[in-house]
Amino acid sequence: MIEAPDLSLAALAPLLFVFGAACIGVLVEAFWPRESRHPVQVTVALVGTLGALVTTLLLTVDFEREITAAGALAVDGPALFLQATIAGLGALSLLLFAERALDPARSAFVVSAAVPAGSPRDRELLTVQRVQTEVYPLATFAIGGMMLFVAANDLLIMFVALEVLSLPLYLISGLARRRRLLSQEAAVKYFLLGAFASAFFLYGLALVYGATGSVRLGDIRSASLAGGTDVLLVLGLALLVVGLLFKASVAPFHTWTPDVYQGAPTPVTAFMAACTKVAAFGAILRLLYVAFGTAEWTWRPLVYAVAIVSMVVGAVLGLTQTDLKRMLAYSSIAHAGFLLTGVIGLGAAGDGSGLAATMFYLLTYGLTTLGAFAVLTLVRDGDGEATHLSQWAGLASRSPLVAAVMTLFLLALAGIPLTAGFTGKFAVFRAAIEEGAWPLALVALLASAVAAFFYLRVIVLMYFSPPAGAERGQGPTVGVPGMPTTIVLAITATATLALGIVPGSVLDLAERAAIFVG
Amino acid sequence: MTDFPWLLLMIAVPAVGAAVVAALPKGRDLLAKQVALGVSLVVLLLAVLTAIAFDTGGDRFQLTSSVTWIEDFGVSFALGIDGIALVMLLLIGVLVPVVIGASWNDELPEQRSMKAYFAWLLLLEAMMVGVFAATDVFLFYVFFEAMLVPMYFIIGSFGGPRRQYAAVKFFLYSLVGGLIMLAAVIGLYVVSNSQLGEGTFAFDALRQLDIDPGVQKLLFLGFFIAFAIKAPLVPFHTWLPDSGSEAPIGGAVLLVGVLDKVGTFGFLRYCLPLFPDASRFFAPFVLVLAVVGILYAALLAMGQSDMKRLVSYTSISHFGFIALGIFAFTTEAATGAVLYMVNHGIATGLLFLVVGMLIARGGSRQIGDYGGVAAKAPLLAGAFLVAGLASLALPGTNSFVSEFLVLIGSFPEEPVFTIIATVGIILAALYILLMYQRTMHGPARGVLLQEDPAEPAPGTGGATAVLTAPRRSLRVLDLSRRELAVVTPLVALIIALGVYPQPLLDVIEPAVSATMDDLGGIDQ
Amino acid sequence: MTLTYYLVLAAILFTIGAVGVLVRRNAIVVFMCVELMLNSVNLTLVTFARATGTIDGQIMAFFVMVVAAAEVVVGLAIIMSIYRTRRSASVDDANLLKY
Repeated sequence: MIEAPDLSLAALAPLLFVFGAACIGVLVEAFWPRESRHPVQVTVALVGTLGALVTTLLLTVDFEREITAAGALAVDGPALFLQATIAGLGALSLLLFAERALDPARSAFVVSAAVPAGSPRDRELLTVQRVQTEVYPLATFAIGGMMLFVAANDLLIMFVALEVLSLPLYLISGLARRRRLLSQEAAVKYFLLGAFASAFFLYGLALVYGATGSVRLGDIRSASLAGGTDVLLVLGLALLVVGLLFKASVAPFHTWTPDVYQGAPTPVTAFMAACTKVAAFGAILRLLYVAFGTAEWTWRPLVYAVAIVSMVVGAVLGLTQTDLKRMLAYSSIAHAGFLLTGVIGLGAAGDGSGLAATMFYLLTYGLTTLGAFAVLTLVRDGDGEATHLSQWAGLASRSPLVAAVMTLFLLALAGIPLTAGFTGKFAVFRAAIEEGAWPLALVALLASAVAAFFYLRVIVLMYFSPPAGAERGQGPTVGVPGMPTTIVLAITATATLALGIVPGSVLDLAERAAIFVG
Repeated sequence: MTDFPWLLLMIAVPAVGAAVVAALPKGRDLLAKQVALGVSLVVLLLAVLTAIAFDTGGDRFQLTSSVTWIEDFGVSFALGIDGIALVMLLLIGVLVPVVIGASWNDELPEQRSMKAYFAWLLLLEAMMVGVFAATDVFLFYVFFEAMLVPMYFIIGSFGGPRRQYAAVKFFLYSLVGGLIMLAAVIGLYVVSNSQLGEGTFAFDALRQLDIDPGVQKLLFLGFFIAFAIKAPLVPFHTWLPDSGSEAPIGGAVLLVGVLDKVGTFGFLRYCLPLFPDASRFFAPFVLVLAVVGILYAALLAMGQSDMKRLVSYTSISHFGFIALGIFAFTTEAATGAVLYMVNHGIATGLLFLVVGMLIARGGSRQIGDYGGVAAKAPLLAGAFLVAGLASLALPGTNSFVSEFLVLIGSFPEEPVFTIIATVGIILAALYILLMYQRTMHGPARGVLLQEDPAEPAPGTGGATAVLTAPRRSLRVLDLSRRELAVVTPLVALIIALGVYPQPLLDVIEPAVSATMDDLGGIDQ
Repeated sequence: MTLTYYLVLAAILFTIGAVGVLVRRNAIVVFMCVELMLNSVNLTLVTFARATGTIDGQIMAFFVMVVAAAEVVVGLAIIMSIYRTRRSASVDDANLLKY
């Protein structure tokens, strides 16, 4: 006799909301008339993500940690906090997807991905006012996968979630309307390297299964306690971590990041930078502390090393970039290193403030980077977005508001006090120093000083340089954002300031959420 | 009266003023100037009222207030001032209106608005007040770093030809120092967490800690490097001549007059009381840096042909004196050092302003481009002379009192260093008097020379005038009424404090001797 | 124990796949190498299932197959779209995005 698995629908409600919206999105795509499909798809996707956000928040009201779905899902503080973060950031990204006022062709996405780039038909379609709506269900699926990823209590579920979040991302990063070749190339690179990394993750899963006889995180923990140092287990752990570090774009597994960030449509880049980072780090935290918390001697040196490599690579290579999207990609690599500093900051017994600090940092980084990419979509020239640094020269004299908002985000990324970035940095560095990792914190501080230089360079250009192409009257134009982008910018900018000036309540929330079940 | 939130108001008023000025509609420059001046005068009034509310015989920290800010970090928005902070607040209160008055008719680089400049100045004022009034180390750090942003924009947007370079250099130097300090701040928190059971940043609690000497040394270095960059002491000083010379005059006055004092203030407030053992351990090294700085910067100052750079170098030399006074560990010397901080702000501020007025007339920063100005502009030359004499610490000017106190206080403890430092005084006389003599006296020459019949507008310079014209004479306007109004208060202060410094000393001395007690009291 | 042979074979296959991804230039071949890696994992899983006497590993192998199938769909679609533009599936030809 087979017993029905225990299933707490209440605990699963956020996931059901998002996946439900994604499935409805697919049906809409199939049956709704094309002319009026766009608003319907946007509504469905937003209802799904915002519904998920609301339900996660409701779950926290009467909150009980539990493991559900036959032990496959852990609904605990970190899961809910990160799910809410992903749902919120995902909804904001979807708003960026839905922006129709900026591009003269009304959308950042290609009308028909199947038409070869540069063909006569493609040129014809470039100016057509039709918009493509497949991106919404795809993005919703990706958001669902991410939310599943951070709650997975089982390596197999983690793998499935990894694929559910990755596959749609591979597709939508290839759907740019302009510079299609670049976009397609980014998709191919992302796909091949992503599949390569998931194979590593999978092999790690198989080895851990062989070593412990289970893929349940709790079982792995008890088995590793009993079994001690199994070569198979350590090797499996290493492979799992490599797979996850790839997703989190931590150097030296970062090579795809600059290319994909540059090639993908900017709203998608924003989505990846904000949400994928949260999801990947959520999974890393859960894996390392729930399954391997007792064997931390095995991974601590590894994480220590990649944190340093990531910060140094991100900060130093970021200096040489001339394209803003690439620069933000390297900034994302450096920030991955800072986040790992927070991961180090969780003590062996699961105490320490590392978990709360990392989660808070994820939230602040997600909001800030999303805002920065949203500003990038505003500055345009004849061929889409003007992302070359030189095109941003003297922007402040033409549109002071855009420049001011961008400056706010850049200062936050650089970690200047009174912005969210500083609070986050302070939290993770404090966690690391408390655990005695002060050399790491010192490297992190120096890396942030180097990184500050390239953020500063953009501010210098915007404010202190003569306007680009002014003498020929052909500088980039600053688009007037429609409602969706305006909302995104308003929310992210307000949050960046608020989390810098009065971070108390959110920090408190992260602190209270920071206990894993398992 | 003491319960009234004077300090909070002194931060809030300029901050709100900055927002108001920034929000004024475009093209209303005059209104922006008036609002900014009004706000800065209100702050001056608040500073004076604060000084009246301050009881010189009372507690060490007064007018304290504390509100929990970020509970998870144990951070409070805690304000309070001792005598040292009070005199710095007064200095800020005086200098900002003067700077705004002096910048009234500045010619800004293309497309820059006066409105933004004044908004940044007011924001900077709010941050500076915060830095000196904070009694929570975290809060101090926040203001310390956030202060960079307005200064960065002031230099970068409104400065001279190489302003981009200077602004970035300024920002990065300070940021690196600040980040190293951040590590030490967190380290201090961790130590407090292990000793007190809960982490705190409150200065009074941290002062009670008994930190292991090895850890003390590391933490001391963290704070010291940040302050030494800010002050600046010699190996960390290279940003100041660039920033000082490229910043607009108003920015330069505040930069050298107040902002850099945060460094020496930090030595006294944080390095000495929190890390007494480490301070004693490192004192000889710091003294070497200080004395080397005095001489090296003085020599460099003599070699400068650019007036703004020259004044910047003189400041580095003076900062050496201040550091000498602080690290001699006697109450007398340290009191002198604090008084020096105030006096230097006034004297160098005036010197920068006068140099700026001269530059505004001639359009060149080179000493060689001027000569014989005194004959045509006696008031300008007079103000220049007073500022210069105060800068070289002539008896009767304010700087003399402080320099004398520093030297006489340091001598019993550090005779060798003190004697070497005295050489700096002679050099100071040389570089100041040479600059004064070359620009103000001698034959009329340089960019201000113009053909007689022509009636040039002031300030536009005569560099384009035909050099072969047979009859030329100096065309230079003397100080206008606005400029006179700017210069007079500072001149008056220089003389007044030179003759009667006692009120300031009464305020400073208790705070300094409390600091020396924290240090373990070398002299009582 | 003979099961070790299967594990070693799987490891060899995985390595071949991984090296293939790194050295081959044709996107399709690279992709096939990834599939080889996934299948070597399947072999490992089934072997471990046999060794531990549970069927969990076999069930996981099914999961992997399903996911691999989905990956093929997505991957081939992306490679197709770029191939139709460029008439080449070489990774080297895709060089717009260089540092």
